[in-house]
Amino acid sequence: MNRSRAILRKIGWAFFTILFVVILNFFLFRVLPGDPARAGIRDPRLKKEAIEMLRVRFGLDKPVINCFEALNPIKLGSCAVNPLDTQFFIYVRNLAQGELGVSYHTNRPVADILSERLWNTVLLIGAGQILSIIIGVIFGVFAAWKARTAIDFTSVVSSLIVWSLPTFWLAIILLFWGSNNGLPLAGKATPGASSLPLLQQWADIGRHMLLPTITYTIVYMGEYTLIMRSSLMDVLSEDYILTAKAKGLSTFQILKDHALKNAMLPLVTVIAINLGFTVAGAIQIEAVFSWPGLGGAVFEAVGRRDFPVLQGAFLLIAVAVIFANLIADLTYSYLDPRVQTE
Amino acid sequence: MKSKILYLLILATLVLSACGAKPAEPSVVKAGWAGSPDSLNPGLAVLVEAYTIFELVYDSMYDLNLDGSFTLSLADSVTRSDDGLVYTFKIKEGIKWHDGQTLTAADVAFTYNLYKDTPEYPYLNGYYTPYFSSIEANDKNEVILTLTEAIPNLESQLVFLYVLPKHIWEGVNKLEFENLEMVGSGPFKMAEYVQNEFVRLAANKEHFSTPPKVDEVIFQTFENQDALVQALKTGQLDMITEMQNTAVATLQGTENIEVVIGAPFSPGVTDIIFNQTAPENCPTPDEGGICTGHAALRDRNVRLAMAHATDKQKLIDLILLGLGSPGLTLIPDGLGVWYNNSLKDYEYDVAKANQILDDAGYLDTDNDGTREMPDGSSPLTFRLNWPSDSITAPRTAELLSEMWGEIGIALEMQAVDPDALTSQCCPAFDFDIMIWGWASDPDPSALLYVYTTEAIPTGSSETGYSNPAYDELYAQQQTELDAAARKDIVWEMQKIVHDDVVYIIPYYEQATQAYRTDRFTGWITDQPKVELSDTTSLVVIEPVK
Repeated sequence: MNRSRAILRKIGWAFFTILFVVILNFFLFRVLPGDPARAGIRDPRLKKEAIEMLRVRFGLDKPVINCFEALNPIKLGSCAVNPLDTQFFIYVRNLAQGELGVSYHTNRPVADILSERLWNTVLLIGAGQILSIIIGVIFGVFAAWKARTAIDFTSVVSSLIVWSLPTFWLAIILLFWGSNNGLPLAGKATPGASSLPLLQQWADIGRHMLLPTITYTIVYMGEYTLIMRSSLMDVLSEDYILTAKAKGLSTFQILKDHALKNAMLPLVTVIAINLGFTVAGAIQIEAVFSWPGLGGAVFEAVGRRDFPVLQGAFLLIAVAVIFANLIADLTYSYLDPRVQTE
Repeated sequence: MKSKILYLLILATLVLSACGAKPAEPSVVKAGWAGSPDSLNPGLAVLVEAYTIFELVYDSMYDLNLDGSFTLSLADSVTRSDDGLVYTFKIKEGIKWHDGQTLTAADVAFTYNLYKDTPEYPYLNGYYTPYFSSIEANDKNEVILTLTEAIPNLESQLVFLYVLPKHIWEGVNKLEFENLEMVGSGPFKMAEYVQNEFVRLAANKEHFSTPPKVDEVIFQTFENQDALVQALKTGQLDMITEMQNTAVATLQGTENIEVVIGAPFSPGVTDIIFNQTAPENCPTPDEGGICTGHAALRDRNVRLAMAHATDKQKLIDLILLGLGSPGLTLIPDGLGVWYNNSLKDYEYDVAKANQILDDAGYLDTDNDGTREMPDGSSPLTFRLNWPSDSITAPRTAELLSEMWGEIGIALEMQAVDPDALTSQCCPAFDFDIMIWGWASDPDPSALLYVYTTEAIPTGSSETGYSNPAYDELYAQQQTELDAAARKDIVWEMQKIVHDDVVYIIPYYEQATQAYRTDRFTGWITDQPKVELSDTTSLVVIEPVK
């Protein structure tokens, strides 16, 4: 009873946070200086009337919101403006209908753009995340079990090194290495591959994923190794582990049945947060390998003041992060009953 | 046992690959570029990548050649009425759309009316059709275009008005239509398009004038310039349309790669902008005018001294690695006949520059190394801004600061987000000096407009320069039908703005492209302009035997 109420409350908070993000998203981008109708276009052929037409088409000729005359840098309207005819109301109304709008830059529905990009990002970063978690945890367990030996030392030092490697640099190095070994340098599929049988298409995507995934895995696994190691070492110094040893349990049994579950707690937090940000993509890796992911879409949209894409992407990222945190919260009480739901 | 399995595997692979092999491999040209089209709807598209695709997939009334001239494309002949207002184009017979239907005068008339009647199309309506009065097709397969005013540059107005199939476009919402199928009549047809990844075009072997010899062209997007160059080196690409100048030397030394350098097809200009808006010309607050420019920049002497203190060759050598020529005005040498090559640039002469400032009364009265205004009120310290996405501007700024420091002018330098820079720039005029640039049109009119008084409140004028004599000439060249007379006016206009030192144009940049010599042969590289991804080259190249 107590527990389900607590869960409900957590879900309620998550929902409230998303609402806040919805509102913040709208104003965040409009506070930026500049004008979407002129961003990225610099051409004497673009006449004043044409720019005005662009504004009308995007709905930017309407006041942002009414009754905020004092804050005028972002063109807020007076109280005489019908609140239903403001950009803010139209945004909220469209969102309530599940409508994310149309990109100013590409004139395509934002939902289409984001779903294409989201799938690409989840594919790449998802694979990288899973690999880096698995490899990182295994190294971490080894390092902790063999604490203060050469194995431990090597794994700590190498983790620190890969964790602090500049992503961009590592990606470029791998790109040059890969290109000399026949690996593709850009994109997620070979142009024209869509006519191949499905299996070959997947193999083609796999080849394109190889280098970015390796980069991602190397850069992120260090973090997991270090957290896993220190967490597990804490647990291994507990009295009950000594007891388990005294009972004559094997190393594997001690790790599996007694130590790991407790040591996983801090890792769950990090994994949850990172999984949430998976959606945001990894701009640097996407940029080096020309991977058409969400990170790149956001980067481009900022430069062009493409408000609908930005709002949609930030909403998506916020929902993913909030959701991942919610899951982490809920997993906690399962993993460790001491984390009681007050 | 193990070796037996391996043997079977190899056998299976061989059999499979034998089945997969076709009698003749299609010849596919793989081009790499750093961008991606924004929209395939010609009315809505803005980016040059989109226009490259339009050039290949559509036809228009005229083709723009690499020497800057125009030739009739869709029409056999054109006649002009004596008053210069009515043009009659005789459309070629038997031209087919990619879907097999016939292209007629009705399609052309429909397209021109579509552009004319859609004010939401920023370029095709806003810039290329304002003189259109009416367009009709008759039953002799002729298009009759009536203008509101006799203009000298109709070819350059029609060249980007891509002709669209009426049977497809009359049924669609012209503002939302994504045009992914892209039925056109050009030498290539759309095969596959994935936004931000690639565009795959198949040859239209039935094209009425220039059927390509290759089977496919692929444009692949590379967000990373190093990867683009590397892809050419490793043979993953056959041609690249852009690269950083630092890559030129490496590529020139690479086997099987040819680097082509020349004037860009649509030349851009880099400019150093002086805010010289006079108080009486400042746009009203309603129009967005703020006008905080330093008063000294309104004095021609100061601008002239800065021009004499600017070592353009050094800028070209250090920033472009030599791949450019000193600039004069906004009309680049790439515009061919319109470029006034008789102007003499201000020579680099620091002593002369100092003398000019001394004579004009700008002296360093407090001996801090920076000169003051003649009345001693404020120092000659200027704000210098540039768009933060520019690769070359930070180095240019640094060099300018050094060069102008020699004549007692100090700079407060800052990179600004390009969009924020737009709002500082124009029509706000809330800056002193900026490094920026323009794209250009084949006709000089677009860039000449930037200097007019009329352009000050619209945001096109960046300097606030105003000269009634110049405005008068601008209006004249707009309607001068005689090409030679128009050229004289355009040259005179360049002389005026050069004399007034409205801008310092540091250089005209050259285009650098490269292709692999071991894959395709026949690229057009001996023309005044370089554009390997233009139809000009893509329809004539052949696979290397």
